Amino acid sequence: MKQELLKQLHSVKTMSIVGMCKNAGKTTMLNWMLSNMDNRVLGLTSIGRDGESTDVVTGTEKPGIFVQEGTLIATAKDMLRLGDVTKEILMTTGIPTPLGEVVIMRARSAGHVQLAGPSITTQLQEVSRAFFELGAEQSIIDGALGRKSLGARTVAEGVVLCTGASYHMSMEKVVADTAYIYRLMNIPKAETIPTIGESLEVDFKANGEALVSGALTDTMVLPLLKSGVLRKGRLVVRDPSKILLTPDTLDKLEVREVKLQTEQAAKTLCVTVNPFSAYGWHFDKDAFMAKMKDAIDAPVINVREEMV
Amino acid sequence: MISVTFGDKVKIGLQYILETLHGCSPFGIERIRRLKFYTPEEREALEEELYNVEGLYRHADELKSAMDKTVILLCQMKDIRNSFRRCAAGEIPDHVELFEMKGFLRRLEGILPLFEEMNEKVAFRGLSFHAPKEALAVLDPDGTGSRGFYIPDSATPKLREIRAAKKKVEEKLFHAATDAEKDELRIERTRICAEEDSEETKVRAMMGAALAPMVEDILADAENVGRLDFMIQKALFAVRYGGVRPEITDGALELVDMVNPEIVDLLSEQRRTFVPVSISLDRGATVITGANMGGKSVAMKTVALNALLFQAGFLVCAREAKMPLFCSVKMLFDDLQSIQSGLSGFGSEIVHFQKALDEVEQGYSLFLLDEFARGTNPDEGAVIVQAVTKYLGDVNAISLLTTHYDKVAEHAAAHYQIIGLRDIDPEAIRRELAHTTEDGVHVIARHMNYGLYRVVGKSDCPRDALNICRMLSLKEEILSKIEEQY
Repeated sequence: MKQELLKQLHSVKTMSIVGMCKNAGKTTMLNWMLSNMDNRVLGLTSIGRDGESTDVVTGTEKPGIFVQEGTLIATAKDMLRLGDVTKEILMTTGIPTPLGEVVIMRARSAGHVQLAGPSITTQLQEVSRAFFELGAEQSIIDGALGRKSLGARTVAEGVVLCTGASYHMSMEKVVADTAYIYRLMNIPKAETIPTIGESLEVDFKANGEALVSGALTDTMVLPLLKSGVLRKGRLVVRDPSKILLTPDTLDKLEVREVKLQTEQAAKTLCVTVNPFSAYGWHFDKDAFMAKMKDAIDAPVINVREEMV
Repeated sequence: MISVTFGDKVKIGLQYILETLHGCSPFGIERIRRLKFYTPEEREALEEELYNVEGLYRHADELKSAMDKTVILLCQMKDIRNSFRRCAAGEIPDHVELFEMKGFLRRLEGILPLFEEMNEKVAFRGLSFHAPKEALAVLDPDGTGSRGFYIPDSATPKLREIRAAKKKVEEKLFHAATDAEKDELRIERTRICAEEDSEETKVRAMMGAALAPMVEDILADAENVGRLDFMIQKALFAVRYGGVRPEITDGALELVDMVNPEIVDLLSEQRRTFVPVSISLDRGATVITGANMGGKSVAMKTVALNALLFQAGFLVCAREAKMPLFCSVKMLFDDLQSIQSGLSGFGSEIVHFQKALDEVEQGYSLFLLDEFARGTNPDEGAVIVQAVTKYLGDVNAISLLTTHYDKVAEHAAAHYQIIGLRDIDPEAIRRELAHTTEDGVHVIARHMNYGLYRVVGKSDCPRDALNICRMLSLKEEILSKIEEQY
């Protein structure tokens, strides 16, 4: 299992780890990857500030990020003194953050680091590019939470989705919402991009396909489903974060054989679950795993057991 | 001291030129943005600058590759002067500052051979750099030549010990079996990391202290990097628009075939060409007269532009140039409006004129008045401009006025007139206009000769206005009535 999973995780050049909620086990997952890097050089950054040692919201003790010698790290200047690795400064990126310019360093010893990377997609791509120029073999982005993480597809080829009991008290809701996000994340890449015409309705009637440049919402789709316009064809969006449809509407589209596609390609490499919540409750781990595996066709991993 | 407002820079086309320059280093960009004009007392420094710029310009072809490479290195430079100043003040630089200082010195080191290559051809005056070797040795004690910054184990024996201990404890941690054992090792590790940090701080302090005595030289180099950057941009500017190093005079100003790059570019977009203008000015008042749309203002603005370019250390846009150094350059354009002060256009013009005149009378100056007092009734206006012209005749300045008013030229030391439509047969244009759908004004503009000629002796009142009326086929009855009056 472990070897297979690592192979899967190593198969992409850029990867982002995203969480459905806080305390989903993102950092545990990240640390597990960092300690299993097999002498490969990794570049590590985050979308914005992350990696505080105590969760500011819940007060839960959180694991710090621990890197191996040789890892490249892009983080804000003010975060440097909060880590305890021996530093070699390699590059200043000119990317500003509230915590200072983003600096790229090489860890000359193993140790803790605090991440506060760029928060804009193009800047994250820039940092990834710099990592590869500096000799990294894989770039890992410690990503955002919830819906925002859907944008992660634009910066990474592979996504690890972390979820857990902290998301909601109801196990059914955690599974259903995770499955929904997973479904959006795995919307296939469009082979060709339709040109934007007059309107969704007109385009679809004429060509059986349409590009939606902004958000795709229920209020746009439902009337067209009712009137029977949307049938057999495809809708293309810029990236999955633009899809604001309810799971129900997604199902209806599927029944009508309307395919959803996006311009950006990425795949979800695995889903991790944490049956323990930071708020006091926890789920039966076996039942949780079983339900999640039912709902999702990617590997599902319990961070509490398989990654410590 | 010369100071020019942003609005005036825009009007005369100086801002346009500054925006075509691509300063690369922060030091060069700063020089372009805060453009300084040399004062008459700084004549030697100005001559040095012009000599250097001219040298680069003359050898621009052979030195193209050296200049291109220099520009790339300049672009990578950052303004790290404050980090160096902090070192000089005895403060401890942090890792990133040390990295940036090293980066600066490495780029400077890269520029030096390129500078030498240029120096061989140009033989720069008053421009040199210190070798950054010694300072680089402080920041890269092992001489690795790497791009990054790292405090090596060899920095102090103690650091080597600490780092070895850190490594050892990490290995132990990796193999530790029990949580209690791990906790103990983690506490040990934290202690070692703190020691490492304090030892590294000492090393950083030592590096800062070692750099401190060199800071003055390094700051001078940063300054000179900015100068070199600006010189290259000035030379490339001259390559684009042509440039000549003016002969410095004690008072007279002579520009042969001067051009105004902004208008050159504007006209070339319309597939027209700028007619170079020549003018010769001396202490006292000179008046330019000529038809509407004849380019009086353009001629005047081009004089101002070249005077300012010269005093900013540029080669000037002309075929030949003899120029003095001015204490101040003042200009008043006809579109003055001062809404804030609540004065009329005319009132605010007088207020501005007063202020400008006060400055002009401080030392040898260039004073430009475009269509002065045109906002008032023509009879009074003429009298005012005549009086001003007379007065300026005795002011220690080159004063240049454009005017529409009669009998002003008589009071001036010299009088130029726009050639305009002088040599054009109005009948020919009228015929051309009859056969074209093109806008009449454009056709006339195309035939207009924007050159200047010097009027010797008394001149007739220019007949261009009447000519234009004829060309545009003004009602015959009106035309004949105008002719009666002439």
